[in-house]
Amino acid sequence: MRLGHRAEAIDIAGGHVTGSGPDGKSFALGYDRLLIATGAAPIVPRRPGFDRPEVVVVKTLEDAQAIKARLQSGSVKRAVIMGMGYIAMEMAEALSLRQVTVTMVKPRAELLPWLDAELAATVRGELEHHKVELRTGFDVARIEAGKGSNVAVVDASGASLAADLVIVAVGVQPNSRLAADAGLQLGPARAIAVDRQMRTSNPAIYAAGDCADAFHVVTGQRAWIPLALRANRAGWAVADHLTGREVALQGIAGTAVFKVFDLQVARTGLSVAEAAQAGFDATAVTISASSRAHSHPGGSPLQVHLVGDRRTGRLLGAQMVGREGAAHRINAPAVALHATMTVEQFGQSDLAYAPPFGPSWDPLLVAANQLIKKMKEES
Amino acid sequence: MKFVIIGGDAAGMSAASRAKRQDPSLEVIVFEQTQTVSYSA
Repeated sequence: MRLGHRAEAIDIAGGHVTGSGPDGKSFALGYDRLLIATGAAPIVPRRPGFDRPEVVVVKTLEDAQAIKARLQSGSVKRAVIMGMGYIAMEMAEALSLRQVTVTMVKPRAELLPWLDAELAATVRGELEHHKVELRTGFDVARIEAGKGSNVAVVDASGASLAADLVIVAVGVQPNSRLAADAGLQLGPARAIAVDRQMRTSNPAIYAAGDCADAFHVVTGQRAWIPLALRANRAGWAVADHLTGREVALQGIAGTAVFKVFDLQVARTGLSVAEAAQAGFDATAVTISASSRAHSHPGGSPLQVHLVGDRRTGRLLGAQMVGREGAAHRINAPAVALHATMTVEQFGQSDLAYAPPFGPSWDPLLVAANQLIKKMKEES
Repeated sequence: MKFVIIGGDAAGMSAASRAKRQDPSLEVIVFEQTQTVSYSA
């Protein structure tokens, strides 16, 4: 382990890595095989005031510790969160629970553009119920010194929000500069293109984790959806290939889950828009069922959105929002996507039932039955 | 064989530990720019 060592260039012809160490001294080291596992970095807009100490990102352990220290000092009454993705929402919840008044802003109109509108409305309701203010259509132009607060977050029209802390959570980008400079091939979003053995366009160099792309099991195309399981699995695949074991990763389905206050939000596969983009003849249904059998107390609505391909009947994606039962239920359609099941085949699945965990017809099966019907009517 | 890894988090450390376990004769060197390894594990 060489901590505090920053790799700065890969010399492919010479087969070595150069960089600088903790003492500022440069180093060079030859390799037989190289793995680029440089991760991803938060995107921070290059606009005035983003270098202020009150403006932070949420990426490393140090970032989190710095935010916590700032909160513990008691100086944070109001926070503005830029972005409305899952990191932004997790931070909105964490700050609200510490009695910080939270305003979330983003330039575009939709809350979670990849989520079905009905499900997104439930998420919006949950945030508003917890007094989180949502300002869509607010494109931050600059951050400046505030009056009565640490800073003012100002948009293009001059509208201003007071804040003691600004969290920038507008997305991430792959740390692929080393690879690009070395002439390695890049894929979607400028992630490093790798094959099913994690090899880059240079046979001696692997890439894995958030800096690398993956094949999507639904589209068969390259995709960049950087999440933890894939990173760990890709690391293992590199080790297996390097030590002479057979390995061929299937790829990713884009399965993801997050919690926002008392709601679970889960997805796998494609949304209708993503499916149409990928050339499918996509259609979808949205249903609401109970998270428990009607005879069982304490149930709550579980919304299920299922996407299918009218041409082939194939299941393309699933989304769920509910207080309980969404997070791990998503794994059933995720596996169905890996198995390239049709909606009809998925609808035949023998899913678990007991009253505390759902109705005898699981909400996923209710949605599948409706989608089968809809696909027949529309074809 | 010398196996060099740039980055000591999820993917890098997964590869390092599994490669070394499967082939103890490998020379595995990990460059990590921070002072923290596998912080998200």
